[in-house]
This record gives sequence, C-alpha cells and structure tokens, in this order.
Amino acid sequence: YSMPGILHFIQHEWSRFEMERAQWDVEKAELQARIAFLQGERKGQENLKRDLIRRIKMLEFALKQERAKVHKLKFGTDLSVEQKHNESNDESKTNELQTTNAHMSWRHGRQLLRQYLQEVGYSETILDVRSQRVRALLGNNYDAPKPVENDNQVVNGNISDEEKQSNTDGNTESIFKDFNFLNAEDNDNEDDEDVNMQDEDVTDDGDHQRKARAKVSSLFLLLRLYEEMALAEFDFLNPTAAEPGILLSMTDDMKLDWSVDQNKLNAMKEQFRQEKRQTKKKELKRKYPLSRPEVCPYNLLNVFHSESLPFTVGGTHMGDESIENALGLGALAGLTVANEADPLSYDIAATKESYRKTWNPKYTLRSHFDGIRAIRFLPNESAVITASEDHTMKLWNLNKPLPSKKTQSLDVEPIYSFRGHSGAVLSLEVDADGSYCFSGGLDASVRVWSIPSVEIDAYDTYDPAVIQKVLVGHTDAVWSLSYSSTRQQLLSASSDCSVRLWNPTSNDPLIQTYTTEGIPTSVCFVQCDSNHAVVSHTDGKINLYDLETGQISLVLAEGDGSKYIDCSVNCVASHPTMPITMTAHDDKHIKFFDNSSGKLIHSMVAHLDSVTSLSVDPNGLYLLSGSHDCSIRLWNLDSKTCIQELTSHRKKFDESIYSVAFHPSATYIASAGADALAKIFV
Amino acid sequence: SSVMDPEPIVRRNPPGTKAEDFYKWPAQSFDEMDTTLAVQQHIQQTIRQDFTDTETILTVPPGQDEGVWKYEQLRQFCLELNGLAIKLQTECTPLTCSQMTATEQWIFLCAAHKTPQGCPAIDYTRHTLDGAACLLNSNKYFPSRVSIKDSSVAKLGSVCRRVYRIFSHAYYHHRHIFDESENETYLCRRFTTFVIRYNLMSRDNLIVPIMDDASNTSNNNSVDQ
Repeated sequence: YSMPGILHFIQHEWSRFEMERAQWDVEKAELQARIAFLQGERKGQENLKRDLIRRIKMLEFALKQERAKVHKLKFGTDLSVEQKHNESNDESKTNELQTTNAHMSWRHGRQLLRQYLQEVGYSETILDVRSQRVRALLGNNYDAPKPVENDNQVVNGNISDEEKQSNTDGNTESIFKDFNFLNAEDNDNEDDEDVNMQDEDVTDDGDHQRKARAKVSSLFLLLRLYEEMALAEFDFLNPTAAEPGILLSMTDDMKLDWSVDQNKLNAMKEQFRQEKRQTKKKELKRKYPLSRPEVCPYNLLNVFHSESLPFTVGGTHMGDESIENALGLGALAGLTVANEADPLSYDIAATKESYRKTWNPKYTLRSHFDGIRAIRFLPNESAVITASEDHTMKLWNLNKPLPSKKTQSLDVEPIYSFRGHSGAVLSLEVDADGSYCFSGGLDASVRVWSIPSVEIDAYDTYDPAVIQKVLVGHTDAVWSLSYSSTRQQLLSASSDCSVRLWNPTSNDPLIQTYTTEGIPTSVCFVQCDSNHAVVSHTDGKINLYDLETGQISLVLAEGDGSKYIDCSVNCVASHPTMPITMTAHDDKHIKFFDNSSGKLIHSMVAHLDSVTSLSVDPNGLYLLSGSHDCSIRLWNLDSKTCIQELTSHRKKFDESIYSVAFHPSATYIASAGADALAKIFV
Repeated sequence: SSVMDPEPIVRRNPPGTKAEDFYKWPAQSFDEMDTTLAVQQHIQQTIRQDFTDTETILTVPPGQDEGVWKYEQLRQFCLELNGLAIKLQTECTPLTCSQMTATEQWIFLCAAHKTPQGCPAIDYTRHTLDGAACLLNSNKYFPSRVSIKDSSVAKLGSVCRRVYRIFSHAYYHHRHIFDESENETYLCRRFTTFVIRYNLMSRDNLIVPIMDDASNTSNNNSVDQ
C-alpha cells in the first residue's frame, strides 16, 4: 500500500460512483418517461372502452326500437284492447295508475326512500348488502334490449364519470355489472311486453326473473309503502295525469307527455336541495358531484322521460305482482345504477364499489387556544402535528383518543406541546422519516424540532433537546416551508420578500437566499425535480426557480397585482410524479400549470370563497383543497371533478380553514381551522 | 380607491401578511360580530388596541353571558402565559428549581398526574398549561364556545389557582424574566384584577404584589408614569 496507490484507488472508486449515479439518473428518467407513457396508454384504452360501450348501447337501443315497431305493427289494435282491460278491471287500473305514477315517482320516490331509510336507521351497508344479493340473483340476464337513448346518455355520461371516479384501476368488471342492471331493468320491461303479447312465450329469462323477484319481495312491500308516501308528494302533476286516458296519448306519441307543473317541480327540487343542505350541516356526509356540466342539465323531467318510455311501449296489462316486482326490481336496480343519472340523488355509489371511498370525520383535535395555521401528518405513524396562532405546536397520537361511548367522532388530546415561538406559528413541515419537524413563525424564526416518540406520556419531564435549532435569517413572518427529502434541505418563504434555502442539520444552515419581487406566499419543491421550486406571491405571480442558479427559470403566471384585490395565490402544491403545479387562489380558483412549458393546463372555480390550502395524495390521484367557505373538497385529478365535499370548521372573523393534508402513507386526511380545531377524516 | 361601493372589509391575515400588519384591520364592534368566536375576537381586539388598558379589556360587553366571558378571558390568559413559559424554559431547569415554589411557605404539587406529583418548576409550568388547555377545550366540560354549563364554570376557579402559581414562581425566582414579560403584556396585573373581580380565587392566594394594587376596579390613570 502506497500513498499514490491509495489515492489512485480512491479516485477510481469515486469516478465509478459518479458513473453509477449518472446511470441511475438516466434510468430514473427513463422509468418516469415510461410511467407517463403507460398512463397515457391507459387513458387511451379507457377512452376506447368507453366508446365501445357507447356503440353497444346504441346498437341495443336500435334493436329495441325495431322490436317496438314490430310490436306496433303486429298489434295495431292493441291499444283499444288495453283500454277495455283498463275499464273492466278496477284493480288493475289502480295498479296501472300506481305503477305508471309510481314508475315516474320511482326516481323521486327512491330518493325519498333513501332519506326515509336513513332516518329509520338503515345504513348504507344494509342497502349495499341487499343490492349485492339482487345483483347476484340477476347476474345472468343479458340479452335484453338496451334502455332508451336518453338513458344511454345519462347513464353513459355517468358511467364514464363513475369510471373516472372509480380510480385509475378502471375496473371493467364494474362497468359490466352496470350493464347487468340495465339489462335486468329492461328484462323486466321486456318481460312485461312479453306477458302482454300473449302470443309469445314467456322467456326462460322471465321465469328466472320471477323467481328472483319472489325472493326479494319483502323489499317491495317496503317500497310500496314508500311509493304511496311518495305519490302523495306529486302534487306538481296536473290531475289529468292520473287518469287512464293519458296512457293512450302516451303510447300514441311514444313520448312521455306528462303535464307537469314545471314551477311546482322546480320548487320541490329547490326544497329538496335545501333539505339536503340542512342535513349536511347536521353532519350527514353526502357527495356533491360538482362541476360536472354533463350531468347538471338532467333535471328530473328528463329523467322521467327516459324511464317511463319502456312502460308505454310495453303496454299496461300485466299481473299485479309482476308489475310490482318489475317496478320494485327496477327501482332496486336503480338504487345502485341509475342513481348516477340524477345529480340530486345521494351518491351511494360508494356502497357498491368497495374501492370507492367516502371520507368521514373520525377525530377532533381540541387543545389549541387559537386558530391552527398548519397541520402535517407524521409519515410513518398515525400522528399529526399542528401549528397554531397560540404560539405553540402540538403532537397528537391518533391511536390514543379519549375513551368515548360513541365511536363516531373521537376526541384526541395532544401528547406534546412545542413551545419556543414567541408569536403565531404559521407554517410547518415534517421531514421524510418523521424525526424532525420545522416551523416558521410570525417572529421571523424558523425552528427545527426533534419530534418526541408518539408513545410518550403527555405529562412527562421537559426535555430541552426537543428544541434543536433556530434558523435565523428572515426578518419578517415566515409563511411557508417546504422540505425536500432528496436534498435534505428546507425552503422557507417570508414576507420579507425572500425565499431561503437551508440545510437544517449543518452548523451553518443558511445555504442561499433568493430575493423575490413581491411578497411570496407559498413555496414548494418540485417533487419530481428537486432542483426546482415553485414560489407564489400576493400579486398572483407564480415563478419556477432553478435552485442552483438562483434564477427564475420559468414564469408560470404573471402578477396581476394592480388589477384585482383577490389576485393573491395562497398555496402551491407539486404533483408527486408529473411535472404539474397546482395553485390555490384568492379568487376561488384552483389552477394547474405545466412545469415544462409553463402553460396553464386547467383552471376551475373550486370554492365559494378564497382557496387557502392544497394537498396532493401521495399517488397523485387526488387533490384536497380547503377554503374560507368552511368546506374542504376532494378532487379527482384525472377528471378534475369534485368527488366529495366536507363542511368543516367555523369562522373566526372572516377566516375558517387554513390547512389541509393527506397522510403520506395511510388513509387519513386532515383539516385545520380558525376555530382552533383540527379534524381527521378516514 | 372607492368609487361607488366601498370595498367590504375582509378581516383576514392571508399568507404574505407582514408581522406589523397582522390583525391590522378596522376594529369591528362586538354587536356586529356574528361568528361563534365573537367573544374571543372582541377580547383579542381590545388587547391589541391597548394591552395596558386592563379595565377596558376586562369590561364585559352589555348583554354578554358572564360565564362565557370568564371562560374566554381565561383561554386568552393561558394563551398569553405561553410567552412567560418560553422565557422560563431558558432559565428554569430541574437543577435550579427542583420544585414548584413561590415564597418559602408554598410548595405546589402538580395535579396533572394521577397522584399529585412534586414536579420541577418547569414541568409544573408546562403541565399546568397543557392541563388547562385540555380542560378548557374538553368536549365534556366545555362543548360550546357560546354557552357554558354552570357546573363547568366551577372548574374555572381551579384552573385560575394553578395557573397563578406560574406567576408567583416567576416573580419570586426569576424576577427579571417576570418583569420583562409583565412589561410586555401586563398579564399578571390583568389576571389578578380578573380573578378578584369575578371571585375566582381567594385573596390570600394572590401573593404577587401588583403595582397599581387594591383600587384596580377604578380608573387606570395610575398606570401612567
């Protein structure tokens, strides 16, 4: 061993490492490209699948039309026959009335049904179990004609929504399950036609269905009861609709001609919406399909159109029980499928797809004396840290809530209070393995803390070692922090018009200071490229910085400061896998920018008031947004639609929600508000 | 910049607000406040206007329920005591103060544990503040910010008693910290006035001498110079 030899060896090793690192970088870039490519491919496949589904439906609709024509041609005098039957048979008349009315009220009744069921105490799981059984029973029926065009579009539109919502795993199975329902529904109607046309034999499918119906008759009794209650609500229909004569005109026109009092209908819809809003406040969580323009125009009237058609075509004379059963089944089937068509309905799609999630409140964190400005999860624990205007941060262990009789919403007490800031704590970040956290405050300090174990006793002895460092440098409030685990560095943005880069563990932590034009509000490392960071400002400017050169490499948005009072951007978030930046604006929008081109990809009105906070889920599929309108909203990033809205937090002055967060590895989401509370949803 | 409609006042401290501009909006009269946190908003607003004006800060607005008033005042005291606790953290260690004491007569045991424990002063301080936070935020005793059960109002007295000891320990053992903090916040004298006015503690326990003592229900002219 000689000196030159050793040196040579070391140099050799080092150059080898460098080469390997370069190789890894290349591989990583390749893999990312491949991921993007595969995602694009998958989208293409899904589109293709959707188109094929549409084609199938159109073909089936055409088939059904043909059959209807055949029927009409064959039985030109069928109508008068029906009429005689009607007049002679009182019971069947009332049944028809009930059924036709009920069929129309079916939709509305179903909504009421669900409401009543919930009041009664039927949980969604019971409905789910029942619908599962129905599904199992009807699973084999396939060769019926398809529903009418309207239904097509409605269901189609919503199936594709559902597809998107049902996550990227785009389960074809679920789509065909939907088909089963449609088929089953039409099988019922088709079967009714068959029964009427006495020339044709009842198909085997019909038999099978009858048996199936018999099995679920208890539900129908329930349904009938609710039907009657629902019928009472239909005062918006003019009285003539109740007469049997109307059936003639219906079958004549092949078109639904209910004379509906539009005003009353609208009034009822309004009332329904308001009721929903009110019950929402009582902490029943429902889904609002927001910003889905293809669904909203479908008012109740259209829905009635589409669903009554099969009945008019098929004729009206049928056995008492089978009508009910058909209706019941149709309604029951509709419980799970056609539901999607109605924007006013409660979205219980969650009950039928196990992977579709509805978030519900689970824990309430009470202990702060003033608003909570930031909340972050620990990466590997069921624990959160909150940062508050009461100058403290607190650590909470969600596995140790206060004992309580009700399991619905549990209270949690903190296990540790971080004291050190001499003013409000405004920002918070946790490092990648949950050992350190960083806080920025109104006192211009950035502090590094060592996070105590989540198992400590809440009233333990004071350990001054929790306070690790105070990073001095900023001269005004530190509003935003961002930590990069790849670089092991921290970025802080302060209202002193600077963004600073720190190495928290080093003895001389400040690495660089970037002076900003305008006051920065939020800073975020670009997750898939930690050499860059995005900074937003109070005047609406959004810049992409190259951290090596310290220069702005790309301007995503120019500042509009002089024009609008609500131009500020409150928060920026970086997508975990794609080069996309999402921004939360004072003007109620959320915007999406492409980091490579700098173009605005998408912009949407997301809330009723200023959007204050964003969080992306670790897989890049969902976005969580919080706003001063007291709501947090969950968005599907593929479709950019809102899949859930949760009302949370009360106002202090004009502020309500400051911060939202996803857990990096578990299914928790959190919100923090001006009312000094933090809420955790599962 | 107003033309026709004056711009509505939005009382927010959004990201980017400078420290000097924090909460610097026009004051809102108590009657106009329509949030559930109106009392807290009002108290904090009054303190910001003049933290030395103890009298105004403690004056209950007409028509306001007194139980809620006392509750919200106590919350604010606990919030501000944090400042004193932070200063104490630097100097008060188990070595310097192995027990929670004020004058020689009193040694205080920490009630935050299953059995009262003789915690060192810094632990006592932290545990007491944390315990107060838990109690005052407890859904069991204080489920609402707008109405307080009478049985819960009784709890306020014990919180006051324990929390006061932080003042007395600081006064007698860390006098410079106490003076510095008191000059910045007037907290101890305001607290003393508060507990006397609302009969939350017996006078015997109020062992920290207050400069403008005794006649503190009347004017505050004596505060000057």
